[in-house]
Amino acid sequence: MPLENHEKARFLLHRSLVEGISPEDRHWLDAHVGQCAECGRYADLAARAARALDWFALEPDPAAALRVENAVRSRAEEMRSAESHAKSLWIGTGVAILLTFAGSAVAWHALAWLASQWSLPSRVWQIVFAAFWLLPSLLLALLPLFRRRLLGEDSESNRETV
Amino acid sequence: MVAVVTAFSRVAEPESQCIARALRRRDSEFIGRLVSQYHYRLFRYLVYWTCSREQAEDLVQETWLRVLEHAGQYNGRLRFEPWLFSIARNLAIDHLRKQQKATARRRMCREDEAGLDLPAPDFESPFFAAARSEDAKRIAAALGALEPIYREALLLRFQEELSLAEIAQVAGAPVPTVSSRIHRGLSMLQASLGGGADAA
Repeated sequence: MPLENHEKARFLLHRSLVEGISPEDRHWLDAHVGQCAECGRYADLAARAARALDWFALEPDPAAALRVENAVRSRAEEMRSAESHAKSLWIGTGVAILLTFAGSAVAWHALAWLASQWSLPSRVWQIVFAAFWLLPSLLLALLPLFRRRLLGEDSESNRETV
Repeated sequence: MVAVVTAFSRVAEPESQCIARALRRRDSEFIGRLVSQYHYRLFRYLVYWTCSREQAEDLVQETWLRVLEHAGQYNGRLRFEPWLFSIARNLAIDHLRKQQKATARRRMCREDEAGLDLPAPDFESPFFAAARSEDAKRIAAALGALEPIYREALLLRFQEELSLAEIAQVAGAPVPTVSSRIHRGLSMLQASLGGGADAA
């Protein structure tokens, strides 16, 4: 039997295990393996090698499996609650922005109407409008500057109480 | 073949979509079931990479935490297994790199401080521990000698029964490379079995 036939048989044997072969190649291979004892032994070894991985029972520790499951579950819970918190924060911010715009429009018209009723110059009510919207924000922005003094006073008053 | 693949994709589609949705929603009940369902397969895959049960157990947890972090990247159009294994693979490779660096550092320290003799790491092969027959012991020795990329290719093809394209996706390598890794791994296992048969 020519040497190429044995090489072809071995190539096809591996290929049949790894990715499959055509019916024609299968037919040729079966016929060859049936006639050639050496290639028959090789085919047997190849099949045993492919099956050999099933011989290892790598059983994981059930306690470790449970530990992993619990850790992953609790992480998923944490992530879900953090995401829902972030989601509500975004929704709150969106609503606040919408209300700011809507409120500004309403306040603008209300002040314009009042100014017309009291015959006030437009600059006056516009300054009142600006102060009405900017003052709270300015106070909030200035708060950190005075926080230390406020906290210092608090701690001093606490010390006095103690 | 194409018909079989298409039919399989259709069957697999709802499950993978379901997994993708549950991961995005952080459905802890479903995720808990998923962890338990894939635990053995993931553990085995990581043992094939690290050759250590303890390291594999740690990496299993890290893999799932990484899955949660990157849940948005899985759209459920492909099967879940290749995606899961590719995450596990990246973690295993990072872990092995760190281990190699640590070993190199330890070796340098040993050269610097000749008097200080650190204990040698005890790497008992988990394959050898799990081998229950003479043939299995020969295969265990051959598996231990194989590089992790060959062990990985063999496991994914013959135990996970992934297609070559899916293995290529996990390994981030072209299909012919994956195919040749399986051929080489198989030849080595075959040689170890053949050697044993000859000896007998």
